[in-house]
Amino acid sequence: MSATTAPPAEALPVEVSGTQAPLWWGMLVFLAVDSTIFAALISSYFYLRVTQAETWPPAGLAPPGLLLPALSGAVLLASAGPVLWADRGLRRGDGRALRLGLPLACALAALFLILKAVEFVARPYLWSTNAYGSLVWTIDGAHAAHVLAALLQAVVVAVLAWRGHFTPRRRVGVETAALFWYFVVAAGLAVYATLYLAPRLI
Amino acid sequence: MATLERPPTTTQALTRLWSTPAGLVGWLSAVNHRAIGARFMVTALAFFLLAGVQALAIRLQLARPGLSILSPEAYNQNFTMHGVVMMFLFAIPVLEGLGMYIVPLMIGTRDMAFPRLSAFGYWVYLLAGLGLFGAFFLGSAPNSGWFNYVPLSGPGFSPGANIDFYAVLLTFLEISALAAAVELIVTILKQRAPGMAIHRIPLFVWSILVMAFMIVFAMPALIVASVMLELDRAAGTHFYNPAAGGDPLLWQHLFWFFGHPEVYIILLPALGIVSAIVATFTRRPVMGYTAVALSTVAIGFLSFGLWVHHMFATGVPLLGTSFFAAASMMIAIPSGVQVFAWIATIANGRIVLKTPFLYVLGFIFLFVLGGITGVMVAAMPFDLQVHDSYFVVAHFHYVIIGGMVFPLLGGLFYWFPKMTGKLPGERLGRWSFWLQFIGFNLTFFGMHILGFWGMPRRIYTYLPGFGWDFLNLVATIGAFILGLGFVLYLANLAYSLWRGEPAGDDPWGGATLEWATTSPPPQYNFRAIPTVRSRTPLWDEEEPDDADRARDHTRRMVALPDEGREILSTTVVDARPQGRVLLPGPSLWPFWLAAAVGFIFYGMLFDLILVPIGAVLAAAALVAWHWPREEEEAP
Ligand code: HEM
Repeated sequence: MSATTAPPAEALPVEVSGTQAPLWWGMLVFLAVDSTIFAALISSYFYLRVTQAETWPPAGLAPPGLLLPALSGAVLLASAGPVLWADRGLRRGDGRALRLGLPLACALAALFLILKAVEFVARPYLWSTNAYGSLVWTIDGAHAAHVLAALLQAVVVAVLAWRGHFTPRRRVGVETAALFWYFVVAAGLAVYATLYLAPRLI
Repeated sequence: MATLERPPTTTQALTRLWSTPAGLVGWLSAVNHRAIGARFMVTALAFFLLAGVQALAIRLQLARPGLSILSPEAYNQNFTMHGVVMMFLFAIPVLEGLGMYIVPLMIGTRDMAFPRLSAFGYWVYLLAGLGLFGAFFLGSAPNSGWFNYVPLSGPGFSPGANIDFYAVLLTFLEISALAAAVELIVTILKQRAPGMAIHRIPLFVWSILVMAFMIVFAMPALIVASVMLELDRAAGTHFYNPAAGGDPLLWQHLFWFFGHPEVYIILLPALGIVSAIVATFTRRPVMGYTAVALSTVAIGFLSFGLWVHHMFATGVPLLGTSFFAAASMMIAIPSGVQVFAWIATIANGRIVLKTPFLYVLGFIFLFVLGGITGVMVAAMPFDLQVHDSYFVVAHFHYVIIGGMVFPLLGGLFYWFPKMTGKLPGERLGRWSFWLQFIGFNLTFFGMHILGFWGMPRRIYTYLPGFGWDFLNLVATIGAFILGLGFVLYLANLAYSLWRGEPAGDDPWGGATLEWATTSPPPQYNFRAIPTVRSRTPLWDEEEPDDADRARDHTRRMVALPDEGREILSTTVVDARPQGRVLLPGPSLWPFWLAAAVGFIFYGMLFDLILVPIGAVLAAAALVAWHWPREEEEAP
């Protein structure tokens, strides 16, 4: 029997982050689930368009306006900046970036939701008007719900940050929240391309 | 060597750290993977018995022509619930529970990656399952078949609440399947014992890993399909309504994007069980490890590919069916690889013919038969002939009972000593196997012929004079024999739990790490984390029959400090130690979160006002769940 080949456990770090941390992988797999949900929704959108509709949008509806969604899309895209700043900052030990970046991102997400609400209210059709309406309301609504979830999560993380919970080594909570945020932004771009660009371009 | 010896307080300290408080609150707050895994299995077996009773009711109704034991409506609810419960409340949860219980032991870790998520998944599963049976006992269970096609299940043709239960509760239920899948993946990727590199992962663990990935990519399609159905029914959307730009075929596509892989989701872990049993009872590692592991992955991929060809078939019928048939052929290749690997192992091994191995032999026989009828239905002209007939019912019960239930029963028998510390009764085990085997063939073989003779599935009765009477009677008698076999099997386990012989750590002489710890394992599974240098760690000691080999093993272990519920995180490919992770202890929040999420879903069924209330409660429970524990705040 050979002598022990195993390393002493005491030498291993206790606070793990990034790819070392199970939580990080858990978030990644969860995002795979969530991506599949968006993929199924977006496929349904194109499926109904291809099989059922002669014109798109159908029934004499005008294609969705470009300005307001572009504005809210830009706000959402911009919100990834402060999150990145906060995440990177914490890694360098810059607590200020974390404490300021998260509230800033939350404010941008809130602005996005307000712009979306304005857009929703102004829509000339409902989910019950026809299948096109059902698709737009459901996909856009599902994404807005994601933004709300990311916002609430970031609020909690920000509160913890202000209470001094995170350190450069204890940062996996921030990392996973940031991952979710980036995902929501990316999903927003996919939704934007589907609902607002595709009807005009293809 | 001796440096790792620790004072005797070690085990006491570990027991204290890993135990669950007593009492009802303790029971509700348990998070340990073995407790939760066992709950999943016991609950799933209870649902299995209930769905079995529904099957017997179906068989009684069909025993003779023109009976009226079940009304047509009751018949519809019975066969729909039978299918739904077997697929969603039994097959997937029981395998996930087995995975949750066995995988951490097999890979040498102390718990799942997210213990509270396991508990949450269990409560969701229980709440959704109870709801479905509640609907059944109130007489408004789903009644449109387990794949619930629109337009029949749409608002126009199914105005009652029956289908709402299907759409809402299945969505709720799938949260549980997804939670378990996420955890199983992360646990297998990140918590394998040092040295268990990717080419040393036990085949059972491989199969659970692939199953979990398939759940991740298949289940969301079912969730989206059901949510859209419920929106059509409750909120006036038109996803499936062709009059307003929707399409009923959309349901079929989404459902089968999930449904094709679903069959393999429940088949793959069963193949993994077979590999584990074959290795142990032939006293040799399964031949062609790499080929079997790769074919497991290939089955996972191809089962999604099947659907693509299926989808292709809708546009280009003739060409499409050829592709579909070709894809079915292709999936037969990796399945065949596994069968040949087992046969080669068996042919070269020293066979020990105990009950688990008997189940494996039964499985191989039935699986090959089910595979042959599968190739038959894959041929288009034949398919048109037997479509929606009892031939199909026979075919998929051969695949599912032969392919999944038999290996599962063998596997539960195999791991029972590890879980309970008691040996299951061998004689009763054999009796139950033979009763099941004979009863099963009596029930389902004749259904092939009934199908040829034109008996359609899903009919609540039939007229005399079609020549169907005799075979139906045989099927009913067979079903009762089969049911007796199941009851005997479970009674055997229950009796053994109470009166069984002590099992010892490794009663069958297995090679994988779960047999290196005591039976039942201590709360913390392993006093120190084992290290691994081969695929069969317990067979590599110089003297394989040395009773002390498990202790020898501990010499190479990694001892973790006894300061918290610590586990080792290792790298994904090579399983090199990377860090220590502190797991959370018992908590009530998983229960409360499941209750709050349940509030949302049951709210949809009763009053939409409840939905936002449930959402607020769920958000609050989530925050409380994630709020740092005191020991985390320590510097
Ligand atoms: C206890 C032994 C079993 C018996 C006697 C039995 C019997 C039956 C019968 C007679 C039907 C056809 C009903 C009809 O078409 O009118 C049926 C349907 C079905 N069974 Fe089983 N079954 C058994 C076990 C299982 C198991 C273990 C599973 C899956 C894990 C399963 C899954 C299904 C499904 C999915 C259907 C189709 C339901 C539908 O048409 O929507 N059964 N079963």
